[in-house]
Amino acid sequence: MAAASLSTRSAMLLSALARSGSLCSPSGSRALHVTAVCCKNHAARVRVGKGDKPVTYDQALPPHYIGHRKGWLSQHTSNLKGEGGAAERTIEDVFIRRFMFGTFHGCLANEIVIKRRGNLLTVCALMLQRLPPMKFYFLIGYTETLLSHLYKCPVKLEIQTLQHKTVYKYL
Amino acid sequence: MASHTSKAFLSLGRINVSGVGLQKSLSRATYATGVSTHTGGGNKGHPDRGGQRQGFIKKQRRTSGEPRTAKMAVDQDWMSVYPTATPFRPSAVPLPVRMGYPMKGGVPPEKMGNLELMKIPNFLHLTPVAIRKHCEALKSFCTEWPSALDTDAQCDEHFPVKVESTDYLSAAPSLRNPSARVVHLRVKLSSLNLDDHARKKMLNLVGERYCKDTDILTITAERCPLRKQNHEYAMYLLTVLYHESWKTEAWEAEKTVADMEDYSWEESPSQKNILSMLIRMKVAGEGEEEEVREQLLGRKEVQEYKNSVVRLRNEGESESTILQYKEAVKKVLNL
Repeated sequence: MAAASLSTRSAMLLSALARSGSLCSPSGSRALHVTAVCCKNHAARVRVGKGDKPVTYDQALPPHYIGHRKGWLSQHTSNLKGEGGAAERTIEDVFIRRFMFGTFHGCLANEIVIKRRGNLLTVCALMLQRLPPMKFYFLIGYTETLLSHLYKCPVKLEIQTLQHKTVYKYL
Repeated sequence: MASHTSKAFLSLGRINVSGVGLQKSLSRATYATGVSTHTGGGNKGHPDRGGQRQGFIKKQRRTSGEPRTAKMAVDQDWMSVYPTATPFRPSAVPLPVRMGYPMKGGVPPEKMGNLELMKIPNFLHLTPVAIRKHCEALKSFCTEWPSALDTDAQCDEHFPVKVESTDYLSAAPSLRNPSARVVHLRVKLSSLNLDDHARKKMLNLVGERYCKDTDILTITAERCPLRKQNHEYAMYLLTVLYHESWKTEAWEAEKTVADMEDYSWEESPSQKNILSMLIRMKVAGEGEEEEVREQLLGRKEVQEYKNSVVRLRNEGESESTILQYKEAVKKVLNL
């Protein structure tokens, strides 16, 4: 009796699992898990909430407005026709953004804008006035020196400080 | 109080982490200081704490001074504010610019803290006054254009060989670009001293590189790694082509009719046909073959026919050539 009930239960379990779309034996070996497709775009969008979430201009506009209502955060010639080095510049950009986020932790008010003019790399950032100016100066010098040595090109930081973050709208 | 608020923040943080993995990576990659409008950690003092702590904080925390725009005179030297290409600084530009898509019933966001203004390249360092000053400074390094070379024809006459190469500049740490080694050498064949045979031989040797409409021979050299080497190779090719086209080799005597560049009427099927037809029509008087031939060839209509055929063959078919041919045929055959 007990065995029969157990087998029926395991059969029900298996059928339930099969219905959910995964084929796996009760012992838990590797298998293919499939879920239904969610036909929604989630890239770089802030979902509308109750109206108490302050959002900057850059965050508020989804990515299909790039080129129409938004500019580009990073500019270099590698994305033009016949030019090379796009991958290297992209990797540099990603590293610089993470580096800035970590060095000026909690002070960044908005995204970082990276401009390249020939050899010169200019990193523009908006900061909040959370640290005393001496600390800011030290961190700026430290970042510039370290990044210059890392990338073997002159790196300049253009920092602007604000009291509060500029809010575009509340979502 | 502080502990209470910090606990609240911690709990918020935990909720974030246990949520969707995507959000977590988002918050890591972007700048976010969380979602609070709270000014942040600088303001550690609380009204509940002792006055000593407050005073200490007040001394440390400096208020920011007024922006530079408030101290600018109307007739200041703008070049000292923006001497080189720099990103937009709202505290240094005294213009009330606004940028961004406005909210409904609103205006574009102002310049303070506006990232859009920082993203775009600005030309504030290139005012007309600045450009004039740059030109003045550069004048001492410039020399006048020679007055004898005021037209294109003059330039072609004195400098018939033109060498073109491109330099590439890109926003990268490296200067090197492999396409910078390509050299184009252009020369007009009319400026080279070639007789008829030499010209035909040159055209045969050169093939695709010659443009008939402009009479320009273009030699492109890109097989060497350096531009200097490519330049020297192109000059060498030009020299060799010139000298070779003047030489006549023994095997050139085997040139057949199919190799000829221009159509020549003498000894051609067209000449034979027209002469045989005219002889059969008995246009000329009776006589020896040779004499009759000479007579016919001397005739005006036959000469016209010859011109029209040569023109048709050499220039191709067009309205005027076909009309000319028609007239000539009508005259020759007395139609």
